[in-house]
Amino acid sequence: MRIRTSLAAALACTALTSPTLADDGFPIVDEPLELTIHMHWPRAQGYGVGGDTSKIYPVEEVAREKTGIWLIDATAGKNTKDNNEAMNLLLAQGKLPDIVGGNRIQQPVNQYGPEGAFQPLDDLIEEHAPHIKAFFDERPELRQAISAHDGKMYYIPYLPDGKYGRAWYIRRDWLDKLGLETPDNVDELYEVLKAFRDQDPNGNGQKDEVPYFARDWEEVLRLLTLWDARSSGSDTYHDFYVDDGEVVHPYAVEAYRDGIANIAKWYAEGLIDPEIFTRGSSSREYLLGENLGGVTHDWFASTSGYNQALADKIPGFDFSPFLPPESAGGVRMEEHRRIPIKPDGWAISFSNEHPEETIRYFDYWFTEEGRNLSNFGVEGKTWNMVDGEPVFTDEVLSSSTPVNSQMYLEGAQIYRGYWMDYRYEWQWTSEGAREGIKLYDTEDLLVDQFLGVALNKDEQEVYDRFWPSIQTYMLERQQAWILGSGDVTADWDSYVSTLDRMGLPQVLEAMNSAYQRQYN
Amino acid sequence: MSGVRLDGIVKAYGAVQVVHGIELDVQEGEFVVLVGPSGCGKSTTLRMIAGLEEISGGTLTIDGRKMNRVAPKDRDVAMVFQNYALYPHLNVAENIAFGLRIRKEKKELIKSSVDEVGGILGLTDYLERRPADLSGGQRQRVAMGRAIVRRPKVFLFDEPLSNLDAKLRTQMRAEIKRLHNRLGATSIYVTHDQVEAMTLADRIVVMHDGRIEQVGTPMELFLNPVNTFVAGFLGSPPMNMQRATVVAGEGGPIAEFKGQSLPLPALEALRPGQEIVIGIRPEYAELRTAPEPGTMQVDVDLVETLGSEALIHCMLGDDPFVIRAETIGQPLKVGSRVSFAVRPDLLRLFDARSGRALPGQRAGEALSFGAEAAAQ
Amino acid sequence: MTHVPEIQGNRTEELVIEAREAQRERAPSRVARVGDHLKREWQLYVMLIPTVIWLLVFLYKPMYGLQIAFKDYSIFRGISGSPWIGLEHFQTLFNNDQFLRALKNTVIMSAYGLLFGFPVPILLAVMFNEILSPWYRKTAQTIVYLPHFISSVIIAGIVITAFSPSAGIVNTFLGWFGVDPIYFLTKPEWFRPIFIGTGIWQEAGFQSIVYLAAIAGISPTLYESAVVDGASRWQMIWKITIPSILPTIIIMLIIRIGNILEISFEMIILLYQPATYATGDVVNTFIYRQGIQGGQYDLAAAAGLFNAVMAFVLVISANTLSKRFSRTSLW
Repeated sequence: MRIRTSLAAALACTALTSPTLADDGFPIVDEPLELTIHMHWPRAQGYGVGGDTSKIYPVEEVAREKTGIWLIDATAGKNTKDNNEAMNLLLAQGKLPDIVGGNRIQQPVNQYGPEGAFQPLDDLIEEHAPHIKAFFDERPELRQAISAHDGKMYYIPYLPDGKYGRAWYIRRDWLDKLGLETPDNVDELYEVLKAFRDQDPNGNGQKDEVPYFARDWEEVLRLLTLWDARSSGSDTYHDFYVDDGEVVHPYAVEAYRDGIANIAKWYAEGLIDPEIFTRGSSSREYLLGENLGGVTHDWFASTSGYNQALADKIPGFDFSPFLPPESAGGVRMEEHRRIPIKPDGWAISFSNEHPEETIRYFDYWFTEEGRNLSNFGVEGKTWNMVDGEPVFTDEVLSSSTPVNSQMYLEGAQIYRGYWMDYRYEWQWTSEGAREGIKLYDTEDLLVDQFLGVALNKDEQEVYDRFWPSIQTYMLERQQAWILGSGDVTADWDSYVSTLDRMGLPQVLEAMNSAYQRQYN
Repeated sequence: MSGVRLDGIVKAYGAVQVVHGIELDVQEGEFVVLVGPSGCGKSTTLRMIAGLEEISGGTLTIDGRKMNRVAPKDRDVAMVFQNYALYPHLNVAENIAFGLRIRKEKKELIKSSVDEVGGILGLTDYLERRPADLSGGQRQRVAMGRAIVRRPKVFLFDEPLSNLDAKLRTQMRAEIKRLHNRLGATSIYVTHDQVEAMTLADRIVVMHDGRIEQVGTPMELFLNPVNTFVAGFLGSPPMNMQRATVVAGEGGPIAEFKGQSLPLPALEALRPGQEIVIGIRPEYAELRTAPEPGTMQVDVDLVETLGSEALIHCMLGDDPFVIRAETIGQPLKVGSRVSFAVRPDLLRLFDARSGRALPGQRAGEALSFGAEAAAQ
Repeated sequence: MTHVPEIQGNRTEELVIEAREAQRERAPSRVARVGDHLKREWQLYVMLIPTVIWLLVFLYKPMYGLQIAFKDYSIFRGISGSPWIGLEHFQTLFNNDQFLRALKNTVIMSAYGLLFGFPVPILLAVMFNEILSPWYRKTAQTIVYLPHFISSVIIAGIVITAFSPSAGIVNTFLGWFGVDPIYFLTKPEWFRPIFIGTGIWQEAGFQSIVYLAAIAGISPTLYESAVVDGASRWQMIWKITIPSILPTIIIMLIIRIGNILEISFEMIILLYQPATYATGDVVNTFIYRQGIQGGQYDLAAAAGLFNAVMAFVLVISANTLSKRFSRTSLW
């Protein structure tokens, strides 16, 4: 290892003195070129297997061979898992590594990029990165979404693939037992939940069923969509959404009043878990395991697993996805979906002396070869090409370690700027979830997401001054109404005028001016 | 009748017995000193009288009343502790008044009592001070004030002077004595210092290993110790002890040791060939200018001059031998040989095996005035 | 002792001059004395160095960063590169109703915490001291120390479960008396009692250690003497134990007052809900929510500085009062 490192160092020196640039294609350089990288993400604080930077990812070994670029770890904040803290540490050092990557880099990169900490990528992509360019040319809205307030792009994001995230689940065996049909609209759902509450579907003689429950209490707000209101415009809770080309907030529109009034009614009637606000992340495990929970809204992948896990414990247990019930206004909507761009990825710092080589290196991961490498690992080791499709080996698929965890150790699926391939996930998605996804694919359920706006300095100031307090106030009132201390219909006018007084119009104005600049 | 009676008092911690059946009768108004080396059980005995330690066996009677199971506060005793046990957050007056306050006495009575006691102990000017601002002697006086203000039947003192320097100790000793003469309360006093015992006591109780060795007036104990332990414990410097063999001589029994011989008083208990220990107090050895019959010879090792007197540390063969003599004009040379004589009636003879004094000795009649003086 | 010579007639002037000269000579000699002292006791000063360095590096150097409270701070530009903006952050804070509410909640919760939480460890220590059986005493102590060593997350979980309306022990108990289940953790009026009670349960046992140590330092003869004087156990507690540990109590009180604005932030984060912000939101949680939106370190620093100044004033006042009225003080 030591020999190799010193050799690399020697080669790097030569590379520095006479960078031999291949005009096109790969490798990018004839002589190895070393670039330093900060790579801080939840699974590994450092660019090396499991964060151990002395162990080089198998994927990195292949990438070195293919591109001639050698990434050398220079991660700050290895001792903290808090990516925010690590980023602050890195920025406070002043001198940045050539590449800064990891999770949640969008905010700092877009804030400090215009201040000169990171290099704008637009021209570099235009001239040197044909594959990245092709990707964004096809999806101009994504390019707009990740741009900073100066309209420039400062990072290459991790781009998730696949559409669905959360779905509606119901105890189909309870429906059968009570002789009920799958609820198809909000009124039917109301009747089903009442039946779950009153008719003892778990048969223990006690009225202990919890008709609607959720791991994250915010999922109770998904019920808003059943009355044509919204709970969020993105996969972040309580986010703004775009209505007819205008940014609005879901908790400040009329439909919200009626939605909350109905949720409060359901809560008061015992159709919603009375402890939904404090039960916490283990509630799904508990309520399903104890044969108590009836309906929830949760991720396809993890929720489908319970049919198998609880088959022995609860005979006939069948917790399956069903289509979102039609709203009072006749709309069938699945509000939650995978976000097409993540705030994770990588950027080129101002101190990088090889921006062209670096952007070409970034581009490598958008080639078919690079994309397979970043999704499936090293060909022949973890996967093989079968009929033109990358297929994981049986060894990978049958291992007791989840496929994603295996990939993390290979150096695939880590938070570099890459384009995820849904075929990676599909191969190890359970049969139940696959069926659910097929069911959801039969209708056009998804709505466009609000991908965020890049605020300029003035807008940011307005946002920082007003928004945190407004959101606090919104959530306080929201919970109070649901819990029944306060009546949303009676309070509505004062609520709206308080929001006005607290500066919501100014925040919306700032959001909209940024939105217009960015997307039109 | 506020006497204290200990009848077969035993203290045991689990299986370990530390006080083995004490028999003691303290008369009303008497000042009794328990003395002995550390660990002899004297403090434990005192604490049993106070009620701070449970009595494992035997009977304790105070003022004719059985007290074994009576709470300390109902025994009507007061105790003075070695480290004074003053409350650091209270001033002198409050410290003295503490016991009265606890008993919810009337304010005026408390005030007058405190003033009176303060006057008796010379604390009037210090009543507002806190213990931290007092000298050791003053603290000791406050501690005594706390005891006497309650006018208890019995005073108990647990080494009250041990924390004081030598000069203060002498002074306080005299004050305690005077106080006792004035108040006349029954007092039981524990010390390891035989000088305190000798000077304060009406009667001394010498204790050793949880047993009483001897009870008596200071002079009785000084002159007629019943065994080698008491003989060695009382007196400063301690009695010289010399092992010897009894042989029959012309004028009576003679002790032989280290090539020397000494005529002994004719006691019935003496048998030729018997192994005995001869006890000679340093005070009773009379220096002679030249060897005479009946004198002993020793080699001078060291001379300590005390002013009017000197301690002459000598060697008798391999054993040390101390002589207390009036200061002599001519300094004794170290290494020189000196002779001394002892009045036979001032010798104390002990059986070498048991350590007990041989029966029939009645020593020092001429010196008995000392005992009377001590009893005053 | 300085001996003042009797000064007579015209000798006065000479003496004054002499004295002045002596003074002048003494001045350098004092420096020399310090030098001698250092030379003689240098080992002690060497041992002091790590602590001094620690203080400088971890407590004094960061004070440099406090200036960002008065700056429009950008991490990348650095502290010196960020422009001054005066008291703007403080204005922002004090113009925010939610900050003022959080400040009010902080003070109220601290005051309650002090009122109810401060005496408990003292009481516990005194009670432990009265337990005669060593086995029973050790067991009891371990049981009350235990919560201190459990992580806040688990403590919060226990509290949430205990107050759960469906399965919680508290509601089960209330149910025996015919009280309908109460969803305590979403009721603003219950937040403070639950939070303060949790704090007491978690820390009182451990905090009692310092008082137990103080009690252990009381000479047993004080109690024996009191027993002979006829004091009851109750009187001994009030007349001996409490007065003897009073200096410790006062010192702890002063320290506690200095930390009055430091509310256990993570416990609140774990226990509060938007529904209980009205009583449960404190300065630290306010800053946390505020900061998480966009790394407003400058604003957080302003709030932190405000906290620190308040704490400083409180400690100084508490210490001064204590010095005047009880002779005990921190310095």
